[in-house]
Amino acid sequence: MATITLKNVTKSFGNSRIIEKFDAEFADGEFITLLGPSGCGKTTTLRMIAGFEKPTTGEIFIGDKKVSGEDTFVPPENRNIGMVFQSYAVWPHMNVFDNVAYPLKIRKRPKAEIQEKVRNILEEMGLSDYEKTMPSKLSGGQQQRVALGRALVSESGILLCDEPLSNLDARLRKKMRREIKEIQKKYAITIVYVTHDLTEAVDMSDRIFVLNEGVVQQVGTPKEILETPANDFVREFIF
Amino acid sequence: MDEIAYTFADNSANVPMVNEEEFIMNKKKILSILLTIPMIISMAACGSSGQGAGSEGGNAGADSQAPAATNSEVSGKVVIYTSMYEDIVDEMQKALKKQFPNVDVEFFQSGSGTIQSKIAAEMESGKMGCDILMVAEPSYSLELKEQGMLHPYIYPEADKLAFEYDKEGYWYPVRTLNMVLAYNPELNNKEDLPQTLKDFAEREDMKGQLSMSNPLTSGTAYSTVVALLDKYGEDYFKALGAQNVAIESGSVALTKLETGECKEIMILEESVLKKREEEGSALEIIYPEDGSVLIPSTIMIIDEAHSANNNIAACEAIEDYYLSVEGQKQIVKGWMNGVRSDFTEVPYDGRPISELLANNIPVDWEKAYKQRDEIRTMFQEYVTVE
Amino acid sequence: METKKRYFDIKWLFMALVVAFLLVFQVFPLLYLVARSFISDGHFSLEGIKRIYSYGLNLSCLKNTLITASLSMVFGVVIAFPLAWLVGRTNLYGKKFFRTLFVTTYMVPPYVGAMAWLRLLNPTVGTLNVFLQKLFGLSAAPFNIYSIGGLVWVLTTFYYPYAFITISRAMEKMDPSLEEASRSCGASPVATLFTVTLPLMLPSIVAAGLLVLVAAASCYGIPSIIGAPGKIYTITTRIVDYVSVGSRESLSDATSLAVFLMIVSFIVLYVSNFTVAKKDYIVVSGKSTKPSIVDLGKWRIPLTILVSIFAFIVVVLPFATVFATSFTMNMGKSVFAPGNITFKYWNTIVSRQSIIKSTGNSIISAVLAATLGMIVCVFMAYLLKRTAAKGKEIPDFLITVGSGTPSVVIALSLIMTMSGKFGINIYNTIFIMVVAYMIKYMLMGMRTVVAALSQISTSLEEAAQISGAGFLHRMRDITLPLILPSAVAGWFLIFMPCFYELTMSNLLYSNNTKTLGVELFLYQTYHSQQTASALASGILIFVLILNVAMNKLTKGKFSI
Repeated sequence: MATITLKNVTKSFGNSRIIEKFDAEFADGEFITLLGPSGCGKTTTLRMIAGFEKPTTGEIFIGDKKVSGEDTFVPPENRNIGMVFQSYAVWPHMNVFDNVAYPLKIRKRPKAEIQEKVRNILEEMGLSDYEKTMPSKLSGGQQQRVALGRALVSESGILLCDEPLSNLDARLRKKMRREIKEIQKKYAITIVYVTHDLTEAVDMSDRIFVLNEGVVQQVGTPKEILETPANDFVREFIF
Repeated sequence: MDEIAYTFADNSANVPMVNEEEFIMNKKKILSILLTIPMIISMAACGSSGQGAGSEGGNAGADSQAPAATNSEVSGKVVIYTSMYEDIVDEMQKALKKQFPNVDVEFFQSGSGTIQSKIAAEMESGKMGCDILMVAEPSYSLELKEQGMLHPYIYPEADKLAFEYDKEGYWYPVRTLNMVLAYNPELNNKEDLPQTLKDFAEREDMKGQLSMSNPLTSGTAYSTVVALLDKYGEDYFKALGAQNVAIESGSVALTKLETGECKEIMILEESVLKKREEEGSALEIIYPEDGSVLIPSTIMIIDEAHSANNNIAACEAIEDYYLSVEGQKQIVKGWMNGVRSDFTEVPYDGRPISELLANNIPVDWEKAYKQRDEIRTMFQEYVTVE
Repeated sequence: METKKRYFDIKWLFMALVVAFLLVFQVFPLLYLVARSFISDGHFSLEGIKRIYSYGLNLSCLKNTLITASLSMVFGVVIAFPLAWLVGRTNLYGKKFFRTLFVTTYMVPPYVGAMAWLRLLNPTVGTLNVFLQKLFGLSAAPFNIYSIGGLVWVLTTFYYPYAFITISRAMEKMDPSLEEASRSCGASPVATLFTVTLPLMLPSIVAAGLLVLVAAASCYGIPSIIGAPGKIYTITTRIVDYVSVGSRESLSDATSLAVFLMIVSFIVLYVSNFTVAKKDYIVVSGKSTKPSIVDLGKWRIPLTILVSIFAFIVVVLPFATVFATSFTMNMGKSVFAPGNITFKYWNTIVSRQSIIKSTGNSIISAVLAATLGMIVCVFMAYLLKRTAAKGKEIPDFLITVGSGTPSVVIALSLIMTMSGKFGINIYNTIFIMVVAYMIKYMLMGMRTVVAALSQISTSLEEAAQISGAGFLHRMRDITLPLILPSAVAGWFLIFMPCFYELTMSNLLYSNNTKTLGVELFLYQTYHSQQTASALASGILIFVLILNVAMNKLTKGKFSI
């Protein structure tokens, strides 16, 4: 059950409020985008789902399981989710195969299973010829595909994306958007996608959360957001 | 662990081993203990290897009036701190093994300043690491005696000693160091140089080309200062300060003498003799016409309460040996003079003690001990500071 | 996975262990010593401090220390920055060779190097002085080593490698696109250097300068040889004076003076935290990049010549002097004078049983100190850079204070507290030396690891964490491999000074734990300069071989 539920989640650093009372339920297989300008709290929200930040108050559930709450905190390594970072975060000292195989190795899966799953993913990503290549020899797009493969290989059902395409050129970005969408359909995974790029959000999402200064401004399908912006901020943002 | 408890049982009770109650960091107690475990293991290893036999002879020497035990009777371990040369320490160790086949003698050899600060820190911790001291001059012995660190032993032949000793037996002179002048005959003529300690400080043509040891770090240099202060007064040091004499260690001074950077240096006779014998050096000694400063260095036994191995019987036997003619032979091999009036051997290229004593500037050891701070400050004000 | 279960993060256990180690073996002994200097006859009193700091000679020592250490810091950085840039980021000829050469100074005991300079530049018969006098027909020697200037010169030539190592490491890891951006805006390479590289490097430069400051201020060997004959005394020489008196009060006096150096370290860290931490540019991301190399063009040959001259004067000349000394029978004559070459000193050092044993002890204690030190550094750097724990800067501070504390003070505080009085007795074992070495020399290791960690994007570790790796796995699989070249370098930076450490070993050794530094001290003080020079040359050769071997083993990834 790859649903994600945020109940009354707030986050403060010192005296400054980053997230104001975030309530949401992301359905299984849904493509959710957190959209907003930089500093709006979208990345913080994503990192709270991943477990890199603890919410100040409120609860987060993954499936039925509470992963964050007043007396509960499941660290990221035990949440079993995949994540793609803006800076790729491909480990420079491991080759492509080892990068992608890492989540399986750490969970002590049998060797044969690791071989099979990694090969499948690499084929899916078009990286079959690069198994033994070191990341520094790869292009930016290829590096991001390695990161994507690594996030998908453990089949966790949830993929978190933190502006994964912002370092790529426009053409590549378009291509990757399509690929991510296809992957989502194929693997039937829930994706939470953070971006400040309206086109990306509209192109891929089932639902968009527009954020500003830690407050959700509007929730809706791309169509709803574009056609009936809820307030001035959203209106200006989509222009 | 039993073995440690045993070894330390007869030592002073105020030295607990791993006493958890006394642990300072209460909050971190458990962690600290965890960290201590490897250390304890290492201590256990050291403790059992060296100190097991330490207590055997403990009672034999309790009565200080009794004659020292014969050499083969004593056993156990004895640690000696000394500032004698490392080379002769090796020789001495062999000689001691012959004399005392059952005693395990260990030397810790370093500069007298280093040893004195090590001792001060050990006294602070309540536990000494040694049993016998062969370091520094009588003023330091007076200090240790007053602090109750020493064990008295009456040496039967004390009347043969050519120098002052402690009548209660707390310390005896064991070797004689001699502060002299030295020059380099390959670069300078002896006749052109000061022949007296007085000229050393006063001849203006020597300015900036002289060197001596630091009385703050060297006991012999300090003793020399006390002697010269008595003989010539404070004016001597004003003059010395005006000479811009370099204050530095003996080996640096000798090198400067060799290279010609210094024309004349005030230095211990032994350093020059050693260089002459070992390196065939041409450096020569000028025995000052106004007298050289003879500085006896002492031997002392640490008392039972503080000593590392509590092996008084063996310590007395060893002290006895060093003061004997046989032991004095070892001293002379180390380029130092002996202390007995009936002992005539001289170090390599050296002079007999009787001849040296004939022209000697005496040191007032009481004064050296009591007025140490004033005298040191006086020296600093006149000589060290610009 | 239980929802209600609280997850215990094992990293805190490790952190607590390391912190406890620092508390027991560093904080407690030093605090004990400091507290002692404030207590007279069982009462708190400022009398001792007042007396010490109102004494004229001591004040002039404070002044001398501040002047020489600050000047060494300035010159050290002024020398190190261009060298690091030329060696790290340009097409200078023989870059690798120069790099090794500049780091070599770090491997020589300062005491021995000071003797070399004394021989070259003393005003009476200094070899270089005499040479220059003849060359230019001067009537007087051009240089006098026994002056503030001389002291600063020797301190600078010995401690600029600290700055060089720190700056060149940062420089090689800088994101080249920042400089490329400047070039594309029309700035020349030199303009880029001053408008982009220099400001970006500022935090590293400040850190490097402060390292030099702390090292120069707490150095004893150089001022004792160069300063004392010229009546220039520093805090450290005064402390040793007080210590050698050997009485209880004089120990207090020594500590009261040492407190000053601790305060200097404190200020240093405060300053670096405020200038460096606030501008912590993370310049290396998860992307793999290589710094761009600046083409020096027509300046390539002149600059190579300039760097060669510098290397000759600062590195080759003093080392050649030390080396030649080790073969010279009579120091009054040239080594090449007939019959004056001898191998006797080398024979002494390779045949002495005690030297062979001491070498073994030195290797063991230096390896232990470097290894344990790096463990402490890695965990404390991780604590500093990767956690939000309260007071995470404190261990970093402690490590800096330790390094700023004069060696002799560290040794005495350990004897007083670690010989059974407080339940721990490691006196007369090798561990007391290991602990002392760690306190004194962990700083360079810590700086190295901190620099490495701050240049690795946290997302690399987060990616492992989200992949399911716990703290230990993350450390093993990601963090450690990525910082390994720096960690090895840091290990070496701790190992080398420990290998020939002299002041502390001399107080802490027992008969079974004699080290090379003790031998060196004994030969230096009681025997001849020649034997000491032979031993120092031997140490240098050994460390150089080790350095080359490490470089080969890590396929060139490792460099200091």
